[in-house]
Amino acid sequence: MRGTHVSFRSAVEPAFEAEADVVVVGSGAGGGAFASYLARQGLVVGVVEAGPWIEPEQYPHSVYGAMRDLMDDWGMQVTLGRAFWPIVQARVVGGTTVINSAICVRTPADVFDRWEREFGIGRGSGRGRLAERVWMHQEALEKELSAEEVPLEALGRSNALAMKGARALGYESHYMTRYVERCAGSGQCLQGCRKRRKRSVNVVWIPEIIERGGFIVSCAPVESVTFEGRRAVGVRGRFLHPKTRERGSSFQIRAKRAVVLAASPTKTPLILWQSGLRHPAIGRFFRAHPGTGVFGVYEHEVDHNIGATQGWSTLAFRDRLGIKLETLHIPLELVASRLAGGGRTLMERLARYRFFAMWCHSIRAESVGRIHRTFFGKGIVRYTLNKEDMRRLREGVYLVARTHFAAGAQSVIPGIGGMPFEIGPHEVERIREASLDPRAYVAILSHLFGGAVMGADPRSSVTDEGGRVRDCDGLLVVDASVIPSVLGVNPQHTIMALARCFAEELLGG
Amino acid sequence: MCALYPRTEALPGIEDTDLDGFLRELRSEAPLLLRFGLFVAALVFHLTPLFTIGRPFPAFLLPKEQLDRHAARLGECQWYWIKQAIFLLKLACGLCWGRNPVVRERMGLAPYGPDSNGWRQK
Repeated sequence: MRGTHVSFRSAVEPAFEAEADVVVVGSGAGGGAFASYLARQGLVVGVVEAGPWIEPEQYPHSVYGAMRDLMDDWGMQVTLGRAFWPIVQARVVGGTTVINSAICVRTPADVFDRWEREFGIGRGSGRGRLAERVWMHQEALEKELSAEEVPLEALGRSNALAMKGARALGYESHYMTRYVERCAGSGQCLQGCRKRRKRSVNVVWIPEIIERGGFIVSCAPVESVTFEGRRAVGVRGRFLHPKTRERGSSFQIRAKRAVVLAASPTKTPLILWQSGLRHPAIGRFFRAHPGTGVFGVYEHEVDHNIGATQGWSTLAFRDRLGIKLETLHIPLELVASRLAGGGRTLMERLARYRFFAMWCHSIRAESVGRIHRTFFGKGIVRYTLNKEDMRRLREGVYLVARTHFAAGAQSVIPGIGGMPFEIGPHEVERIREASLDPRAYVAILSHLFGGAVMGADPRSSVTDEGGRVRDCDGLLVVDASVIPSVLGVNPQHTIMALARCFAEELLGG
Repeated sequence: MCALYPRTEALPGIEDTDLDGFLRELRSEAPLLLRFGLFVAALVFHLTPLFTIGRPFPAFLLPKEQLDRHAARLGECQWYWIKQAIFLLKLACGLCWGRNPVVRERMGLAPYGPDSNGWRQK
C-alpha cells in the first residue's frame, strides 16, 4: 500500500482497506501542509481526498471544464440568507490551492492579539508564542514553495494600472507575492495553472508524500471517523466516480496514531456530526471575507486576461476600514453574468470587453454564520452580512472605483443594483449612497473560516489550540475550520503555517 | 439563450456557437440542481414579457425587436428572484459563448484547447 495512489473503485470490487500512522482527510492547504510535515518525520501518512487527482496538463482549458472538473458542486454552492452568495471551493487533489491565486501574506500580528484576547489562544502552549511559531513556519514555507513577487513580464496591463491608480491617490500598494515560480502570466490561475508554475499542493506535496512512503486515496469522500472508545482509529466512506457520480465500493482506512480533518469549513463540521460528535460549537462561528468586483472602462485596450490573475493588492485600508483591494482577471465566460442587461444591450457592453479591467475588494466581515446539516446529509451555510459589514462592502466598491478613475478609467461599472450601469468620475460619490441591501450586490465568499473553531474555553470551541478535538483522543482539525476570526488577508499562508504548528504539536505530544 | 446573446455587427451571437452540443453536454454532466435552476430561469424568461414590455405573450412568440427589448429589460430587472434566475441563464450562456474560438479571437484571446476530461487513475 505504501507509496501508491488509489482512485475510484466500482461497487463490484471488494471493500478497500488500508492502514497508516496518520490519516489526513482533505488535501488542500491545511491537509497538504500537515501531511507533508509528518511524512518528512518518517510517518506513513494516508491522504484521503473526495475529488479526483488531476495533473496540471489535464486541467481543463475552459471555465465550463473547470467548474465541472475542479470545483465542488460546479461552484454552485451558495449561502442561504438575505442574498445567495456563491462559496468557491475545489473538489480535487490539492483542494482550493489548485484554483486560487496562491497569494502569500503573513498573518498580521493583530490577528494573534485578538485570538489571545478573545479566545485565549496562544497563552500557555509552552512552545513559545503562537505568533512566533506561525511566522517561523511561514518563513520556511515561503522558501519551500518559491514564493515570489509577480515578475514584471507577467504583470499585464491591469495590474500595472492598479499600481498607477494607487500611486496617484497616494496610498501604499504592492505587486503580490505568490507561491508561483516564474509566473508565465497566462491568466489562468482560477482554472488551474497548466504550466505547473503555481506551487499547489498536488504539484509539490502530494508527490513528495508518496515518495516518502505515504499513500493517496482519491475520489473518496469520507463519511465518518471511526472510534474505539474515545479514540479515533480511522475513517470510512464510499468511493464516488468524479464524472458519473456513481457510488463505488466502500473504503476503510485505519490510523495507528491520529485522524486529521482538513476537509474545509463547510465539510469538516459535517464529518464531525456524522461521526457522532455533538459538541454545541460544531458548525458555529462561520465567518468569511465577502468580496465583489468593479469594472473600470479604459480608453485603450487593457486585455485584463493577459498577465497574472491577481497581481496587485493593497492593505492600506485593512486596519482602519477592514477592506482589502486587489486585481482579479475574470474570464470572458463569466463577464456577462457580471454585466446587467440582455440582448443587443448586453452584446454592446460585451463588445468593450478588451477595454475593461476588473478589480475587486474583500472585507474583514464581522458577521457570523452557521453551517447546518440538511435532511439529505449535505451542508448548507446560513450567512447574512450585518449593516456595518454592508457599509464596508459598499465602501470597498467606492475605493476600487476611485482607484480606477485615478488610473485613468473613463467610467466605472459599479455593479450595484439601483445604481446606473456605468458612472463617470464626477459621479463616484454616488456609490456612498447606494443600497445596503445584500441583494443589490453580486458578491462571492472566497475565504471561509470557522465551523470547528479552536479556543481555550471548552464550551465555545470544538478544538483546543493544538487543533485537538475535545471529548475524544487522536482526532485533529487542521484546516480553516479552526480559525476563530477573519484575518483581513488571504488565508492560505496562515492555514498552512497553522497546520504545521499542529503537526509539530502532534509529534511533540 | 439566443435572445440573451444575439448576433450583432461587432460580435458573433450564441447562435453562431455550438449551442446544441453545449446543451447536450450540460444535460448529461451538470448536477440536477443546476439543470433545474436553468429550466426555471428559461420559464421565467418566457413567461414575463407582460411585465417587461407589456405584451401578453410568451417570449418565444415575440417578434425579434420586442424579444430584444424583453431580454434587455429582464436583464436589468432588480426583483431579486428574477435577477438570480437571469443571472444563472446568462452564466450558462457565457460558458458556451465565451469558449467559442471565433468569439475569443474577436476579444484578443487565444483559443482554448479541448478539455481533457481525464483524471489520474493510477
